[in-house]
Amino acid sequence: MADFNVNVRGVGSVSVIDVKGYLDAHTAPQLENAFNQLIDGSKYKVVVNFNDLSYISSAGLGVFMAYVETMRENKGDIKFSNMQDGVYNIFDLLGFPMLYEFYKNENEAIEKFKESISK
Amino acid sequence: MNLFSPNIAKSRKLEYSIGFSILLFIFKILFSSSDSFLYHFANEFIVFFTLYFWLLYLIDFVHTKLSSPLQLVLNVGILAALFFFFVAMSTIIFDLKTFTPHQNFITSIFSLIISFICFIAAAYIFSSFRELFFLRQKRDPKTYFNTMIVFFVFLFFSNLLIKIDQEFDYPKNAFYIVALILISINSLRVAWIAFLTKRQKIYLLILSVVLGILFGFNFSFSLDENILTKILVDLSPGFHSVLSLMMIYGTIYFGVIFFTTLFHLPTAEAFDRKAEEVTSFRDLTKLVTQVLDFKELANTITQVTTKVCNSDSAWLVVIDKEEYDLVSINNIGYVEADELSLKILESLNDETESLITLNRDMTEVSLKNDLRKFNFSWIVIAPLKIHEKQKGFLFAARQKDFPFDDDDKKAIEAFSDYASVAMENAMLIEESIEKERLEKELDVAREVQYKILPSETPKYKNVDISAMFIPAFEVGGDYYDFFELDDDQLGVVMADVSGKGISAAFIMAEVKGVFKSLSSVIFDPHDLLVKVNAILSESLDSKNFVTAIYGVLNLKSGKFNFVRCGHTPLILISEGRAERFTPMGMGLGLDNSEKFSDTLKQMEIQLKNNDILTLYTDGIPESQNAHLEDFGYERFENILIENSYLSTDEISNKVMANLTTFSKDNMQNDDITLLIMKWISNNKIVGEN
Repeated sequence: MADFNVNVRGVGSVSVIDVKGYLDAHTAPQLENAFNQLIDGSKYKVVVNFNDLSYISSAGLGVFMAYVETMRENKGDIKFSNMQDGVYNIFDLLGFPMLYEFYKNENEAIEKFKESISK
Repeated sequence: MNLFSPNIAKSRKLEYSIGFSILLFIFKILFSSSDSFLYHFANEFIVFFTLYFWLLYLIDFVHTKLSSPLQLVLNVGILAALFFFFVAMSTIIFDLKTFTPHQNFITSIFSLIISFICFIAAAYIFSSFRELFFLRQKRDPKTYFNTMIVFFVFLFFSNLLIKIDQEFDYPKNAFYIVALILISINSLRVAWIAFLTKRQKIYLLILSVVLGILFGFNFSFSLDENILTKILVDLSPGFHSVLSLMMIYGTIYFGVIFFTTLFHLPTAEAFDRKAEEVTSFRDLTKLVTQVLDFKELANTITQVTTKVCNSDSAWLVVIDKEEYDLVSINNIGYVEADELSLKILESLNDETESLITLNRDMTEVSLKNDLRKFNFSWIVIAPLKIHEKQKGFLFAARQKDFPFDDDDKKAIEAFSDYASVAMENAMLIEESIEKERLEKELDVAREVQYKILPSETPKYKNVDISAMFIPAFEVGGDYYDFFELDDDQLGVVMADVSGKGISAAFIMAEVKGVFKSLSSVIFDPHDLLVKVNAILSESLDSKNFVTAIYGVLNLKSGKFNFVRCGHTPLILISEGRAERFTPMGMGLGLDNSEKFSDTLKQMEIQLKNNDILTLYTDGIPESQNAHLEDFGYERFENILIENSYLSTDEISNKVMANLTTFSKDNMQNDDITLLIMKWISNNKIVGEN
């Protein structure tokens, strides 16, 4: 079956999560683990890079909803980048763009975090 | 030829034996002594048949009562001792020179009683010899034994010849010698000794010495002139010579048993162990298929490992979630076994693919700190494997400095294999129980879902409505409903709860409750959904959300006022063209601030004659075929356009038929819900365009 992969890397004070493959109810716990580890490490500034994600189900969307509050309460955020059109449409239909920031590429998102620090 | 199984019922045999015994008794009392040949002839025949029937009865008796060959040997010994006792006692009580059986009435009766006892004892001894002879024989050795019996019979009757002529004794001697040879040959059938345990063999060794000597004495007595000889010769010379032969049989047989047992003794232990191994394997095989509790089986496995492999202790460790879990211990403390196995396994660095043997040095090295506690010289570790994956280890440890041999290791390996099988069984059963539980849960969820959905679609003059719902195996949370707000207004909702199974079904029930109660109070779709969002945000888990479209259709004007909360776009088919409406609106439960209300945009569509409104859940566009392609919006819309002249039920069927064909090679993994409404403003019959 379709695979799913999570990889977390640090870019300065920002953590980038690379997601790859199918994100659904069965693979969502992997992403949850990644978020839990970031929170354990007090890393609240997160960019999720969707470059290699081909599918997301409602359970996948739920993961971001579950963690965004914690991040924002700690002066952080979850920002999305590099999303393919198909995946973006799903986010868009649900109204995510009204609550989350979406960027064409990862660096823009990281820059945005830096701006907010310098302010 | 089968001499000893004529077709006589068992109870009959006893009757015949007693009958002949009585006959013999009366015969002996009546004709106390005579020298006529006729007397001897009749006498020998009556004795023969009495003996024969007693034998028949006792052979059955011995065969059914046989508990162990040793018991049989012991019984034979007691009877042999009885003969010895008779000889000894009678010599003390009576004077050999003056005694004759027919001295007076008392001696006659005494002789007869002694005779009968000897009779039955002899028959019993012979039956036992026969039973032992046939015991554990792989091939049928009947011929040898029957030939021997034939010569016994010949010998029995050859005594009659001597009565005719004193000189005529060479046939008797010839038969005697042949019988002797056959006895020697038959005495070699002692295979049953091999199957005794070591302890039993030692017991048998002692017993056979005593018995051999006892039979030897009895034989020499039978040749001597003594009172028992006198009594028995008077009873029947044939019986006396056969009895004497049997005493030789006993002497030879127990002599053979003595030496055979002696030679078997050194290998007795190995034989015992093999037998134990075979029994353990058999028991384990039975257990593996019968016992479902792995822990119980693990206990049996450690027990037999200790016993069969001559180890002092055994314990079993399984790997559970990458941690070692001590499941069963035998002859070792829990803490010790736990500590020891942990230290050993750590020191092995995952080099545990196959059987490992640790000698004293290695165990010492790995146990530097705590040497006193675990004084094992040798430890064998056998891995448990399921589908090439390591699932645990079976340990067997020995305190004496005496290495495990190949047999021990093989047995340990076999036991660890049994443990693996048992473990796999246990896992499979657990899985199937879990699966069953999930299926039950899904059944409940499906039932809830069906109860929540409206049982029929409302019917109106101006609008033709069709609703179709196909649940996925893993129940999703699709929901649609109609609310008659007043005579002219119809509320329509379609919602999709994120998640699946019973939790989705519960949220769905809540969604229905909220819509049902609020729709009759708040007519404005925007205001209603803001309120619904507020309520749901309170109760929903932070990762759950609900998408919905809610609209109110004016049944007079054909105006459709609706809001979309994160749901799939509304599709309008008008004049052969499809249009998707996606007014702004977040999913319910995403956000509970002003933002939701501010961004939620209400929209109004004016329906024209034959316009078709389509509400659906993402199960339709996201249906996939074998190549993982989506069914998509265009395919969906084209079907709607092509069939727009049909009734809504027919359109629904067309969509479902196409969808099924498209995704036939791929499992439906989301609910599919389709709601089609067709506006008919000029009141023409549906289908006429």
